[in-house]
Amino acid sequence: MASSPHNGHGHGHDQNHLELNGDTTKAHPASKKPRLSLSLSSSSSSFITESEIRSEFSHHDPGIARINNGSFGCCPSSVIEAQREWQMRFLAQPDAFYLNELKKGILQSRTIITDLINADHVDEVSIVDNATTAAAIVLQQMAWGFTDGKFHRGDAVLMLHYAYGSVKKSIEAYVTRAGGHVIEVPLPFPVKSGEEIITEFKKALERGKANGRRIRLAVIDHVTSMPCVVIPVKELVKICREEGVEQVFIDAAHGIGCTDVDMEEIGADYYASNLHKWFFCPPSIALLYCRKSSKLSDLHHPVVSHEYGNGLAIESAWIGTRDYSPQLVVPSVVEFVNRFEGGIEGIKKRNHEQVVKMGKMLAKAWETNLGCPPEMCASMIMIGLPACLGISCEKDTTNLRTHLREKFGVEVPIYYRIPKNGETGSITGYARISHQVYNKEDDYVKLRNAVNKLVSDGFTCTLLSQ
Amino acid sequence: MEMDEERTRSPTNTNNKNRIISWPEIQQEFSHHQPSIARLNNGSFGCCPSSVLAAHHSFQLRFLRHPDAFHLHVLPSALLRSRTILARLINADHVDQISLIDNATTAAALVLQHISRLPRNDAASASFVVVVLDCAFQAVKKSLHAYVARAGGSVVEIHLPFPVRSHRQIIAEFRKGLERAKSLNGGKIRLAIIDHITSMPSVLIPVRELVEICREEGVEQVFVDAAHALGTVPIDVKEIGADFYVSNLHKWFFCPPSVAVLYCRESNNNVPMPIESSLFLWTGTSRDYSAQLVVPAVMEFVNRFEGGIEGIMKRNHDNVVEMGKMLANSWGTILGSPPHMCASMIMVGLPSRLCITTDDHASRLRTHLRECFGVEVPIYYDPATARDDDGESRAARDEDGGVITAYARISHQIYNTVDDYHKFRDAINQLVKDGKFCKMLSTEGAKV
Repeated sequence: MASSPHNGHGHGHDQNHLELNGDTTKAHPASKKPRLSLSLSSSSSSFITESEIRSEFSHHDPGIARINNGSFGCCPSSVIEAQREWQMRFLAQPDAFYLNELKKGILQSRTIITDLINADHVDEVSIVDNATTAAAIVLQQMAWGFTDGKFHRGDAVLMLHYAYGSVKKSIEAYVTRAGGHVIEVPLPFPVKSGEEIITEFKKALERGKANGRRIRLAVIDHVTSMPCVVIPVKELVKICREEGVEQVFIDAAHGIGCTDVDMEEIGADYYASNLHKWFFCPPSIALLYCRKSSKLSDLHHPVVSHEYGNGLAIESAWIGTRDYSPQLVVPSVVEFVNRFEGGIEGIKKRNHEQVVKMGKMLAKAWETNLGCPPEMCASMIMIGLPACLGISCEKDTTNLRTHLREKFGVEVPIYYRIPKNGETGSITGYARISHQVYNKEDDYVKLRNAVNKLVSDGFTCTLLSQ
Repeated sequence: MEMDEERTRSPTNTNNKNRIISWPEIQQEFSHHQPSIARLNNGSFGCCPSSVLAAHHSFQLRFLRHPDAFHLHVLPSALLRSRTILARLINADHVDQISLIDNATTAAALVLQHISRLPRNDAASASFVVVVLDCAFQAVKKSLHAYVARAGGSVVEIHLPFPVRSHRQIIAEFRKGLERAKSLNGGKIRLAIIDHITSMPSVLIPVRELVEICREEGVEQVFVDAAHALGTVPIDVKEIGADFYVSNLHKWFFCPPSVAVLYCRESNNNVPMPIESSLFLWTGTSRDYSAQLVVPAVMEFVNRFEGGIEGIMKRNHDNVVEMGKMLANSWGTILGSPPHMCASMIMVGLPSRLCITTDDHASRLRTHLRECFGVEVPIYYDPATARDDDGESRAARDEDGGVITAYARISHQIYNTVDDYHKFRDAINQLVKDGKFCKMLSTEGAKV
């Protein structure tokens, strides 16, 4: 059940066009900007076939039902090959490469990304290692705000309870230590609608503004990691603006290729997205979008090179000698996704449809529930695991995950949901399944059967913690 | 040069398994290098032999094959293996003192951010002082600006003489510089940054002595930037006695880009911005670790050479000195430092008749050498020679009596041949013969 290839024409996305020549000065109409084009390859008018997809991912372990694209992503062979080429070009004559090719290549990648995310100008787009680095860049700016006295002791930074671990640590290191106050927005899970999230968010904003505090920054996940839910960021950004939150940073580790990423639509000040999770780049590469404003000059990459002071994008393009090849293969990735019907939009759409379909199939088979409604998931979805499995702590989830990997050949992360006061026999474990172009229905059937077997064998997690 | 003969001698104890690597095998290991270029600049970007590249690719593919299992079962032990080998190589007490990072540039930022956030010991002082060599790597200087100056600290640059003749000269200047720095802040210097081998101009610094002086003078912490050290000089971090020591592995230790080893004498977990934490926050775990994992493959590689890495270091040194002298003799110039003050790189004076009087001239010459002569070599313009001391410039002069204003930094690594240096020699001689001044060299074709 890979993305359905079509042998034929007629795909009606004619208004799309790709600008590889770096033209980023276009005026935008109010409506959505054209997306990346399709059918770049002039030689063939047919889309990628099933067997070609299999070939592109033939390096994946065939014995594993790989339903965890969300953690580490994937990279097709043709992009790996492109990466090798870049690596060898550097190794052949590194000085010439550094002087004549590197900057051009990074600029080309940035230009493509600018187009992809509907940013106004390529200056707004920097390429960094990953969303964690991006968070450090934004939060370091916050720290200076406090030490410089621009922000006052007790001014707040807001984050979601389900923010990624390293981002939370960053907030503590850069904000709390500098005298800032951190507000966590609790989120319900399972969640029934975006409204529930908006309600909690508004309540947290009130708390944040208590005692005349200013909220200097809101850090909002676009798609939380564990548990996995698509957050209504557009609405939340609007609320932030209305409520006087000074800046908004969207942490979209699962961004490009997973959800809709449109800077104009979303309207945040900063937006970070990994490209190696859902956009087929090798590890690791992420984009950090920074809306053009006076604060742009305050942002710096933590690793300082001779490019310091030339703007974040230029700074990030040279942070000492390293392997920049993951950042240079973006054009090859565009070639790859355009072999699919609908390009990256088509891939996203089909991933979403399939992961919902498989999620429902599993929930039905296990007689449990989904963690959120389909419209609040993108390419991943949470499915409750049967309560009888007895998941009662974090350790159980890792043990169960290992058990599934080693005994059943299934790779899937498990989330422990702390039962609310008074809850008994509730679902405390959720599996987060992903769908990417290489997945087949069989992968999910494998998971279904594995869990069914565990249930029928009377398995509980206490057995594993011995 | 007797490179070929030395290599094919019978194996020593370090090579008990296999015979010594042969010259054709070495060429094969570097067959991916552009063949038409005389590659005399190993110092900037290093090199990586095919067998290590193969190990690199292998790790990358293992990750791609099943990344979750890789992170759980392969990565932790492979990282530990690399760190353990490195700890032994540089004589660190414990593997916990060893971190793997991207490069020395990253180390500088980590250390400077760390010390800039330390609480001010002296309530009376509004500032803190960091001392650095004036020829420190540009990235380090910018880091000082970004972290130290930004946090209200002061930076004092210590000028080192060049060309240089002895350790004594370096030590004397360093002492003077420290005195000057101490006078700024009531005697307290929070950090001294000392290069083990400076970059441009390149000189091997007596770090152990300088660190000792720092301790005598009450400098709180010392950071040795040894970007070029591992694979060019023996390293004993305990003997050197610094608080922080970093060396790149992709320059002279045959790793692919990029990886560096950062040694921290004390764990600094209980202070603001501890280095381990910052490193984690800056890099996360979502990254390609494979360059950090190939250290065992590198050890296998170097042990195919007589004397292992020590043998390689010695031969590189002997050869670069020999080639440096050959060039200086041919051009009528001098070496920037004596043999004992260089490792695998040496500075060779360029003929005054080239009239290099700005950084731009040096840059044009480098481009011209690359594009018209197929020689890759960095050129250093010494701004100090622009000072006119009533005609009594202390700068060195060449055989024509002109002031030597610029030096080429030549490297020697195992893939180099005598021909590489002859090519360079002949190129310069040709330029001088043709009466080419550097300001005349066009920048057409220079795509910088």
